[in-house]
Formats: sequence, C-alpha cells, structure tokens
Amino acid sequence: MKYYGVAIRNLNRQKKRSFLLGGAIAFGILVVTLINSFSGSIITNVGENFSQLMAGHIFLTGHEKTSTGKTINVIREDKKIIDALRQNDLPIRYFHKRSAFSGYLIFEGESITQQITGVDWSREKFLKERLVIIKGSLEEMSDPRGIIVNQKVAEKLNIEIGETLLVQLKTVTDQYNVGEFRLVAVSYDPGIFASISAYANLSYVNELLNLKEGEYQTLGIFLSDIRLIDYTAEKIYKTLIQREVPLFPRTSSEEGEYFQSLSRDIRAQTWEDTKFRLFTLNDFLYQVRQMVNILNTIALVVLLILFLIIMIGITNTFRMVIYERTREIGTMRALGLQRKGVRNLFLMEALFLSLGGVLLGLLLSGLLMFILSRINFGMDTPMFIFLRQGHLTFAMDPVRLILNISIIAVLTLLAAFFPARKAAKMEPAQALGKYY
Amino acid sequence: MKAKFSLFHLIFFFAFLLSGYTEPNFKAILKEIDNMNNFKESDFSATYTIVSEKPGEQTSVMKIQMFRRDREDKFLMLILQPEVQKGQGYLRIEDNVWFYDPESRKFSHSSLKENIQDSEAKNSDFKVSSLSEDYDVTSWQEDKLGRYDVYVVELEAKHSEVSYPKLKLWIRKDMNQVLKVENYSLSGRLMRTALYPPSYIKLGNRYLPSKMLFIDELREGEKSQVTLTDASLSSLPDYVFTKSYLERVSR
Repeated sequence: MKYYGVAIRNLNRQKKRSFLLGGAIAFGILVVTLINSFSGSIITNVGENFSQLMAGHIFLTGHEKTSTGKTINVIREDKKIIDALRQNDLPIRYFHKRSAFSGYLIFEGESITQQITGVDWSREKFLKERLVIIKGSLEEMSDPRGIIVNQKVAEKLNIEIGETLLVQLKTVTDQYNVGEFRLVAVSYDPGIFASISAYANLSYVNELLNLKEGEYQTLGIFLSDIRLIDYTAEKIYKTLIQREVPLFPRTSSEEGEYFQSLSRDIRAQTWEDTKFRLFTLNDFLYQVRQMVNILNTIALVVLLILFLIIMIGITNTFRMVIYERTREIGTMRALGLQRKGVRNLFLMEALFLSLGGVLLGLLLSGLLMFILSRINFGMDTPMFIFLRQGHLTFAMDPVRLILNISIIAVLTLLAAFFPARKAAKMEPAQALGKYY
Repeated sequence: MKAKFSLFHLIFFFAFLLSGYTEPNFKAILKEIDNMNNFKESDFSATYTIVSEKPGEQTSVMKIQMFRRDREDKFLMLILQPEVQKGQGYLRIEDNVWFYDPESRKFSHSSLKENIQDSEAKNSDFKVSSLSEDYDVTSWQEDKLGRYDVYVVELEAKHSEVSYPKLKLWIRKDMNQVLKVENYSLSGRLMRTALYPPSYIKLGNRYLPSKMLFIDELREGEKSQVTLTDASLSSLPDYVFTKSYLERVSR
C-alpha cells in the first residue's frame, strides 16, 4: 500500500513530464476509442436505417417459374405463412405486404427512374410516422392512384400537387405497361435513397404489375428487437418447413455469397407453384460487418503502433528518471527497501501513469463523441446510412474497452520494466555516491 | 320500311360472310414477316447507325456492328461509335450475355438493356421475330398509308411473356412488308411508333428496311432513326461468337 502513495507522489513531482507521457497515452486511447465506438454503432445504425428503408427485419418473397422458364416474383397464397407468424410465440411487432417496381416517372417530357413501392396504408403506421411530408397530405392517399414522391423527384419533373404523371414499367412477366398517378404529397428528400422513396397504393401497383387482387411480392416482418433477427428467422423457417411450405435453403448470412448463389439457383432450378425465400436484414449487412471488422482491426493496429512509439518514450523517460533518482534509490535501499520494492515502485508509477492517461483519454473521447454527435450531417449525405437521423452515434463494446486498457497497461509495464529492473539492481553504496 | 330494314340486314349479313371468306391469311403473312427478319438458315451481319434526338439535348450518334447466328441463339454486338464507348461489346450465347469493356479489359455477366444506349431502338427490334407464334390477330381492315395499300392489323399477345401485349401493324398488301408498328402497353396506351419507310436492302429473297424510325409516344420529341448498312448473309467463322474475338476486335 505504501508503494502506491510514493508512486503517485513521484508522478506529481514531475508534473510536466507525467502530463506529457500521460497525454501521449491519452491520445492513443482517444483515437482507438473513437474508431471502436464509431464502428460499434455502424451495425446498429445501418441495420435500423435499412430496416426503415426496406420496411422490415425479416422478409419473405415468392417465386414462380413460367412455362418458358422465366422466374416471376409473386406471393399468391400466404395463409400457411400468416398462420405460422401468428401462432408462434415470436417477437413480431407487425408485418405487412408490399409490391414494388422500378420504372420511369414521366411528366411533360421529363423522365426519371424511380422505384415505386405499393403499400397498404391502413397497415403501414410506421411508414406514416416516418415519412416527412413537405407538401400535400398523406390523407390524399385514399385516391387509389395517389403517389408520394420526394422533393428532388418533384423538382426534376417540375410537377405540382394534384397533377397527373405517367409511369412506364414492366409487369412481373416483363410486359410493358403504362399507368397514371396523381401526385398527392411530396416527402423530404432522403439523400442517397431518393431513388427508392416513392410510395403508392398496393392495389394500383399490383394492377400495374399485372397481379391479381390479394397478391403481392414481399412480406416484411418487423421485430420488437433488431438483435433477435437470426433467432426469429430460424424459428420461422423451421415452422414453415414443418407446415410444408416450399422454401429455398437458408444458408448462413456469414457466407456472404448467399444472394448471388441463390439467384443462380433460382435461375437454374425448376419447380411447381410458388417457392418461398426467407432472408433477413443481416444477410444484407454481411458486407457492413466485414467493414466493421476491418475498422476494428485498423483500430487495433493503430493502438499497437501508437503504443510502440509511446513505449519507447516511456522507456527513455524512466531511464532518465532512474538517473535522476539514483541517490534517492540508494537512500531507500540503504534504509532497507528490497530490490523487489524498488522495481515495484517504478512499475507502480508506470501503471498509474498509463491508467491516468487512459482515464484522460476516455474523458476526452467521451467529450469529443458528445460534440460530434451534436453535429447534424443531414440526410443528404453518402454517410447517411451510418448515421442516426443525420447524427453520428457511438457505442463502445465493454469487452473491447477492457482489452484496449489491458493492452495499454501491459505495454506500459513492459516499457518500464527494464529501467525498473536496472534501478532494482543498484547497490545502495554506489547509488548514494553518484552525482549527476 | 320494315322490309327495307330486313333487306339491309340481309345485305349486311352477306357482306359479313363475304368478308369472312376474303380475309387474308394473316397467320401466313405474320410468318412471312417473321421469316423476313429471322436468319435461321444463314448468319447475318450488318452495321446499324442510330441517330437519337431528345428535346434540349444534342443529337447523339451511335454505330453498332452486329453479327447474328440465330440458329444457335448467338450474337455479337460491337460498339464502333461514339468514341468514348468504342470497343465495348455484348456477346450473347443462348441465355448468357457478357459485356466487354476494353478500358478494364474485363468481361462481366450482363443482361441486355431494353433500349440500345438510351435510344428509342430496343434490343428486341434486332432479335428473332416471332409474331406468328406470340400473337393472335384480333381485328383487321384495309387502308392506305401514303401511296401504299395496307392491311391494318391489330394483334394481341397469346401469353404474358412478350414485351408488348398489343400491337398494331400496317402491312403492305403487295409484298407483306411492315410499314408501321404501334406498340401498346398492357393498359392499352400507345408507347411507341416504329416506321419502316419503303426503302429496302435486298438480301437473297428478303427485303430488309434500310431505315427505321422509332418515336417515343410517352416522351414528346424523343425519337431515333436507325440506318442499316453493310448487311450480309455470308457465313461467319465460329470464332466470331467468342470472347477472345470480342477482345481482339475491341483493341
């Protein structure tokens, strides 16, 4: 216990030096914590942003083969699926049916490519809450041919509320079709996702796609907790298999090539009636996970490089400290302090120095994160997908934090160990006789 | 008055019967049109020049070299103009389409875009024609288009896997050549008009229109004119339909 006090007193004696060394450690931990915390929030933010854009966490799509081998995307009969979703004890908040197509919106000679999603407005409460309407009204979607486009699209087409625009598309079987929409509302431009932010009535979108009443293309399932995606998907998949719903195999999202290989299978295979595909948000997020892993690896490499440099500084500083305190060491040794005691005293100093630096670094990184999270980067930025409502968010994994602190503590102790051992080996008489 | 009315009905009935007997064999006419545009017995090569006009934009010119072997479901399409796209090409072998970019010197699995490089001409305009297989004649009448006597024939798709569910054709009576086509969407809206002026290139016993004009009916003022030159039915070497050939000619 007595070493602690002496170690802290010694650090206090050379405030400037301790502050500089501690500052270097603080800088290292600051950089690493920022990277780790940013990457920690990426998965959550990207997941939430995607779940909002795609309207769900788990998705089911139906696929049929035509007589000529063409694959069409349609769900005609979903009773078994809906029963399975309702009867199980699953963390499902709600689910909804959607159809969508990519087509050209045309108005007075101007044309723009846009994905138009057909939704059942009576069930899409979440979408209603999320859409920021600038002009017009969502209530007007009672018009079967009503459409909501974003600000940018409305400006490009130079169209006003109430005006009629054409849409050119292809049906599920690739036939050309042309429809008419009436613009009822203009929504806030969601930046890089502007091309997939037009919404219309499910019934009219189905009509344009040449689907019959009650048919649709995607069943989106929202869960109460985004972390339960894999667990719930697995459970739904097993239940559907038990109920003899024909399903494509569900390979792990970790394999990464899932979508490509499945598309190849769908093209190559033949089957009767409708075969379903179950996929989750995590299947899309595989590449994001890879990016997060790369970021965390970069953070670790940065930490190690920074601390190699800091270690050299610590070693040199402690060698200097030992020269300065040679007579003091001699006195302590003459008064009965054992070699182990001298070594531990210096190691204790190094440990406190690193812990002080870590604490300062964490405080500074916390402050910086707070300031950065207050900045509104807006929604019209390529970074949008990594942000939450246009703001940076940070989430530090406690295990990673403990790992970082441990690495710093071990490296600092290692850096101070050799000078400390040298100090411990000094003979009291010789040490007392040294003058610098 | 009553007798007159009955007589009118009688005349109408006979006229109707007579018209039934004189209805041209459209199945055969459509088959002939298909044959005219399909090259099952021989290879086909030609150069297409596509001039596209869009309101507010500069007129764009594109030149494409086309090699077709319909019997094996193969084609090679090489872009000769504009300069920025020179050397790019598509190779199709059955259901596989590859795109080659000479800049990266790489092939990528692709699908043919609907429209050829943002023009009003569609890839389907240069593919195997199957009007007689895919469509039924729903109505017809005789008319004149310019100085030509024509049949105006309305067609409806037999199944839902053809691009245009409805077509209206103006067919020259004297030589079963299409002079004009209107393409309709599933909802019945006119989407595009294609005009084939009667200026032909004679290849063997076929007549190919040397010029085509495609008018976008949804976007006012957008049209493309396609000119066919250097058409030939000469046999092409097998290596033409290979990736290595596309790579070589792209240099």
